[in-house]
Amino acid sequence: MSTISTHLRTFKEPNKEQITQLFFSVPPSLTARCEKDGLEKMEINAVLSMSAEAEEDSYAGKLHLIPPFLCFASLDRKSCRFTLPLCTIRRVERLNARAGIYALSLSLWHGMKIVVQLTSLRPTADLFCASLRDSLKAELQHGQMKAVRSFVKTCYSETLVASEAQAGEEEQEEKVAPEGTDNVETPYHGGLGLRFKFPGDPKKLREASKVKLWKTYLRTHGRNLTLLRYPQCTRLVQVGLPNRLRGEMWEVLSGSLYLRFSNPGVYEEILKENEGRTSTSTEDIEKDLHRSLPEYSAYQSEEGISALRRVLQAYSFKNPELGYCQAMNILVAALLIYMSEEQAFWLLEVVCDRLLPGYYSTSMHGTLLDQRVFESLVQKCLPIIHDHFQEVDVQLSVASLPWFLSLFINSMPMVFACRIIDCFFCMGPKVLFQVGLAILKINGEELLKIQDDGGFIQLMRSYFSSLGQSAHPHSPDPRARAITRFQELLLVSFREFSIITDDTIYSERKKFRNEIVFSIESFSKRAAIRNLKTLERFTKEQAGLIYDALYRAMCIIPPPAEVARPAPTLISDGNEEKPETRIGLRTFRVFLSEIATWARDEKIIINGFQQRVDREVAEHEFIDRLFYFWDVHCKGALSFQDLVSGLDGVMFNDLMENIEWFFNLHDKNKDGYLTKDEVLTLSESLLFIFRFEIGDAYLGAVSRFMTNAFEYGDALLPQPEGQGDSDEPPPTPGIASNQPYLNLATFRMVVLADEILESFFETDLSASFKLEPVPMMELPSSGNGFLGDLISNIATDDNKKLFNRFTDQIGRTIGKHQVIHRPAIGRFTKLEEPKARESLLTPSMRPSTSTSSLSPTDRAQSPGASTSNLSLSSDARSTTETLVQGSEMSPISIMKTANEALMERPQFAIDDALDDDTDDELGGEDDGVMDEVDAFLEAHDSGLTDEQKEVAKDLLNAKPVK
Amino acid sequence: MAESGSGAADKSVQVKLVLLGEAAVGKSSIVLRFVSNEFQANKEPTIGAAFLTQKCRLEDRVLRYEIWDTAGQERFHSLAPMYYRNAQAAVVVYDVTKASSLEKAKSWVKELQRQANPNIVIALAGNKVDLVQPSPSASGSGSAVESEDEADDATATPGENAAAAEQPESLRQVPRDEAEAYAKEAGLLFFETSAKTGEGVVEIFTEIAKKIPIEHILASSRGTGRPGAAGRSGGAQEGGVNLEENAAKGKDACNC
Repeated sequence: MSTISTHLRTFKEPNKEQITQLFFSVPPSLTARCEKDGLEKMEINAVLSMSAEAEEDSYAGKLHLIPPFLCFASLDRKSCRFTLPLCTIRRVERLNARAGIYALSLSLWHGMKIVVQLTSLRPTADLFCASLRDSLKAELQHGQMKAVRSFVKTCYSETLVASEAQAGEEEQEEKVAPEGTDNVETPYHGGLGLRFKFPGDPKKLREASKVKLWKTYLRTHGRNLTLLRYPQCTRLVQVGLPNRLRGEMWEVLSGSLYLRFSNPGVYEEILKENEGRTSTSTEDIEKDLHRSLPEYSAYQSEEGISALRRVLQAYSFKNPELGYCQAMNILVAALLIYMSEEQAFWLLEVVCDRLLPGYYSTSMHGTLLDQRVFESLVQKCLPIIHDHFQEVDVQLSVASLPWFLSLFINSMPMVFACRIIDCFFCMGPKVLFQVGLAILKINGEELLKIQDDGGFIQLMRSYFSSLGQSAHPHSPDPRARAITRFQELLLVSFREFSIITDDTIYSERKKFRNEIVFSIESFSKRAAIRNLKTLERFTKEQAGLIYDALYRAMCIIPPPAEVARPAPTLISDGNEEKPETRIGLRTFRVFLSEIATWARDEKIIINGFQQRVDREVAEHEFIDRLFYFWDVHCKGALSFQDLVSGLDGVMFNDLMENIEWFFNLHDKNKDGYLTKDEVLTLSESLLFIFRFEIGDAYLGAVSRFMTNAFEYGDALLPQPEGQGDSDEPPPTPGIASNQPYLNLATFRMVVLADEILESFFETDLSASFKLEPVPMMELPSSGNGFLGDLISNIATDDNKKLFNRFTDQIGRTIGKHQVIHRPAIGRFTKLEEPKARESLLTPSMRPSTSTSSLSPTDRAQSPGASTSNLSLSSDARSTTETLVQGSEMSPISIMKTANEALMERPQFAIDDALDDDTDDELGGEDDGVMDEVDAFLEAHDSGLTDEQKEVAKDLLNAKPVK
Repeated sequence: MAESGSGAADKSVQVKLVLLGEAAVGKSSIVLRFVSNEFQANKEPTIGAAFLTQKCRLEDRVLRYEIWDTAGQERFHSLAPMYYRNAQAAVVVYDVTKASSLEKAKSWVKELQRQANPNIVIALAGNKVDLVQPSPSASGSGSAVESEDEADDATATPGENAAAAEQPESLRQVPRDEAEAYAKEAGLLFFETSAKTGEGVVEIFTEIAKKIPIEHILASSRGTGRPGAAGRSGGAQEGGVNLEENAAKGKDACNC
């Protein structure tokens, strides 16, 4: 009654290249295409300058060619950056400048001109230029350049900038104020807000001033596809995006714009292809449509509801594995106020895929992980609050989970949530953590008074509802009084918690991932065992061992998707089956090899350097027979319950039951008779089970069995006249191989005639099924820090195999290579056991790399383990272990101390921060927007000396090389 | 129980109660009916869990329920322990018109009995009985699926009873006897309820209140200093939970 999922095992930490791509919001799907075309990625040191009109400093940084994008980030990774689709580069010229300076001038689609001075060595610069040229050519061939013109028309920024060229400022301000009047046929994409009004009071939001500032910025620094992000851009985002521009800026900042640009029409296609289709996701979506921001007027109308439905459904069809998760409805509902369906669809993809990975997945592991990370950050940054919560047993997640899961939309008033989302798309997921920490810090004193979860929730509620109020209502300074609690929140977030960087989040996530995976997996294990209809005769612990074997098998050979995830039921008739994980034959073979000793081929290999057990999954008709025998519901696949019941059918049997079980297993049509063919198959099964037994005893037993079976069978053949009660044709002495031949009683007699077979059925068969702890599957990445990575990279299965092969080779050359098959039963051994085998059976000799595990029974069978051999090698092992630990520990502890030191840096007080910003640059004209902008002003180090700046400035006026 | 400390001054005993059950069985509607005695359209969605409070008067004592209304979607299941830990009471809800929801309820009961507070009082509630009772004002005949959605989404107004079909009993998939027998066997309180009409809703909470070992809670809560409860109750101003108002209603509703 439950599903078992192994998807958490497939996680891989992003590598450096992927992290760079994440930083630049470059969609992996697009870079993959260029990679296929053989276009090279490259990075180079560079200095970026802009034409004089923009009045920007020059910045030193790195220029990345990630086809089909050209990206730049300043050295501090935040002051200045851009992600330019190559197709927006109209012209590239090599500049004729001072000797030794290698500079390119790029003319961009929106008329800007930027100069990049390549400061790496000359050959590197040449190579970079060549790669850039190739990539640009490829883009031209793809026809992407042509697509730009029509695409930018769908962006509001074009209309905005164009309008300024014609209309005066007065008119513009007016145009912003009345909303939802004549915007039905706009060429650009827009959200429901255009018709149903945007939340909040435009006056209070100072929309007009914001629009003006953005217009200036977008005109000089590019827009939509070509936006260059200078410090001013980030600051303008931090004071809140103007409503009309918000949707587009979300797209641009998150990079979803590139997906929409390169997938024209895909959203509509998905909807069309899946029209009328229903699934569990669409059912869930229907239930929540009317519960998504119901207070917003658009969601009281069919127009809003159906837009919401289409976006959520389209995404559930595009990503059926994720489908739909509650909270996505709230997110999408918020997005749709500011952007079109198509825009929201691609943005949702970026959110689910890159910004909040695993948040909405079926296990919600991303959510759980980030909650754990948040808790750890609270512990580091706000230890007093953390300790208090521990003391009164308050769980942080009860309040913070919805913050993260619905990006604060459900927690605070819409206007404020949107501003956090602005920052989230601009600066990434770390914003959620920064804001979360700031909320706790600001409410620190109150939080120390709470006693339980309920009090915590209520305190947070009342805080969120007071965000619009003054943060300093009693201050004599009117400027201080004007600061709202929300502004205070953002300031605390970005000033005091600027130490929380992307890297912090990455490394914290890495640290806790295994913990979370483990807890999710043990949770589903407990649930799976609890949900078994019957444990049969097993204890819960034994069922746990069966589950472990099943889980391991599923990790090695994942069950086919259609078996693991049954097609969503279309109609809920109340009796539909719950989705249940079932495994196919291939997975079953692996499962059985974990449990039944004869279902695996185990070779003991000794090569002078190491001794190990290589285990392979056996394949035999007998195992397949067992699979179908246990598939009592004839589904072609086995559930956990089937396995438990199946094992129960054999593991608790006595002699007579075992004989009957084995007989039934081979009686395909269940008529109580084995045919001659079946007797032969049965003998083969026995031979298969006995294949590695030492000596001839078992071979003899099986051959005696066959002789006897046919002898008795022939002798006991009923005479034609005695066979009146059956509709089968009367058997003749020359019976056909597929006719009923041997019944259970005869079979039993034949078996009991042989001592070896008798003992096999009495104890050995049942004992060959062993429930023993399965070696824990290695989690995707274990260990912390750089060295942990290194070790986990080295210790891959492939490398182990390589190493094993290598030592085997050497072993062979020095004549010490030995391979011994381990018997499945190992009772009757006429041969003397080789000495080496005994030593192998001692537990501590197990090589840590081996996937096998030795059972207690095995150990019991070899009491005379050679102790000298054992102690020697275990010593050797422990030495390597300490060695590894020793070298692993030191850098980590250093890093930890460094981290802690960082975390405990003195924090600024909010009031001080405000005092810094008393200069009034723009006067009253801007309604104080710039004051707020300035509040975010931080020193931007362009990373250049004065002299270098001069060079960069000169380049702007340089002439291209002829 | 000792008379000193907070117990005498503030007789309100805080009880943490968690609602569990399959999606769309009407958990949120039951809470809403109990807390504000309404069957409301377009309520706040449940992310993780919604938190509400309601007072319930019991003889000489006032119980203050802290209700955690959990999300029903299957993938939120792994979050549930966060909400049911330390809970003194649980209401496991199923839908009388959907047999599979009882199975899910049973699995919740099992989980609670094994993983939650050992003294937890569990009530089993078969919701949406209004769909299977003959109604005098049977006007429309909605299909079972539609009415489920309706009850969950709370889109219908209290007066409407569009879901009553010609033969209402035919919608029933879980016989009362069967569920009651199971509840008895598992040691649960049992109710059939309708969040829509209000039938049986208040009873759940009063019966739980009677069964809760209050002395035990008082004894254990004294250590952490409860008096803060009074101060806090004024805090919630946002959303549908206005404690001051509801407290008055609650006294009426919960008059036992």
